[in-house]
Amino acid sequence: MPPAQDTILAELTEMIDAVLGDFADDQVVTMDTTFSADLGMESIDVVALAGRLQSRYGDTVNFAHFVAKLDLETVRELKVGQLVGHIADSLGQADEVGAGSR
Amino acid sequence: MVRANGITLHTQRLDPPGPAVDGRTGPTPTAVLIHGMASDTMASWYFTLAEPLSRAGFPTVLYDLRGHGRSERPATGYALDDFVDDLAALLDSLDVTGPLLLLGNSFGGTIAFGYAARHPDRVAGIVTVESGPPVPEWMRRVRERLARVAARLPRAGAVTEIGARRGRVAAQRAAETQRMLTDTSLAQELPASPLPTAGALAAIGCPVLCLYGGDSAVVELAPTVRGLLPQTRVVVLPDQKHTVLIDRPEEVRRLVFAWLAEECSLDVAQPTTA
Repeated sequence: MPPAQDTILAELTEMIDAVLGDFADDQVVTMDTTFSADLGMESIDVVALAGRLQSRYGDTVNFAHFVAKLDLETVRELKVGQLVGHIADSLGQADEVGAGSR
Repeated sequence: MVRANGITLHTQRLDPPGPAVDGRTGPTPTAVLIHGMASDTMASWYFTLAEPLSRAGFPTVLYDLRGHGRSERPATGYALDDFVDDLAALLDSLDVTGPLLLLGNSFGGTIAFGYAARHPDRVAGIVTVESGPPVPEWMRRVRERLARVAARLPRAGAVTEIGARRGRVAAQRAAETQRMLTDTSLAQELPASPLPTAGALAAIGCPVLCLYGGDSAVVELAPTVRGLLPQTRVVVLPDQKHTVLIDRPEEVRRLVFAWLAEECSLDVAQPTTA
């Protein structure tokens, strides 16, 4: 995994823990972890996570647009790694056009 | 998180990435998405219409109703007027001052009508999914539905059974709904809400779109809505249930965008999924 993705995964794990609060399991979050089946996140938890993403990365990482492009089945089985990839891509593109950076 | 009406409401805003919708009759309305009662949250709008509306140029606001999702859960204050007061205060806190396009799922639609009855000049359009205005006939159904849920969930093994049938996340949600009905006066207060007068409801002059699932009992409200608000466009989606918003988001989106163009004079392009 490229270093950038490594950092994003660590940040995302912190956000997931914050969103789940007392309900967080002690399991290690990996790129293959699913939000629903593995973490037991309900849809509103995912929306709360989206709010934290917006606070952290600004509008560069448009979570709503990202999930809108996925079909419902994919959203239900969304993996942490897919979101990490989207964040890395969004930040990379933002750097390329000079529109913003981390 | 936004403070409004003395409580904290979990709120999300999606700003349009591009230019605003070309409103032929005035400024672009802000779309406000209101979810349903008891087991619903803003997620049902977030994953269906929020993004298409913002991409079409509407500033979009979503929030969890009091007691729901990640908003604060006071023990009391669950009459219709409390929910309308929350919405009015939230819009003030967010500095949303222009016209509104209110979209409500299930009881969220009733809150939209309740808001419009008290603030008719603010509302440019109302979309409801599986809902009706606050009239006695509808409130009776709400009472029965809440009583059924309140009686079923506390039974020993009810939540475990839901977990076995529909999985861990569904069981968590059922347990959460049970906690809410135990910790708050919602099931008692809401059905006993003072209602707007028929005159105040009939004075709502904006375009209205009401969507129903053909297999849901709520569709029986359609004639009442038409009688009260003759401008209403009613569309019944055949073979659909009360959960039509999350079961058929594409169809709902298509119907809403067609209505916006035809009845609200808003030049919205049908968004592609790209």
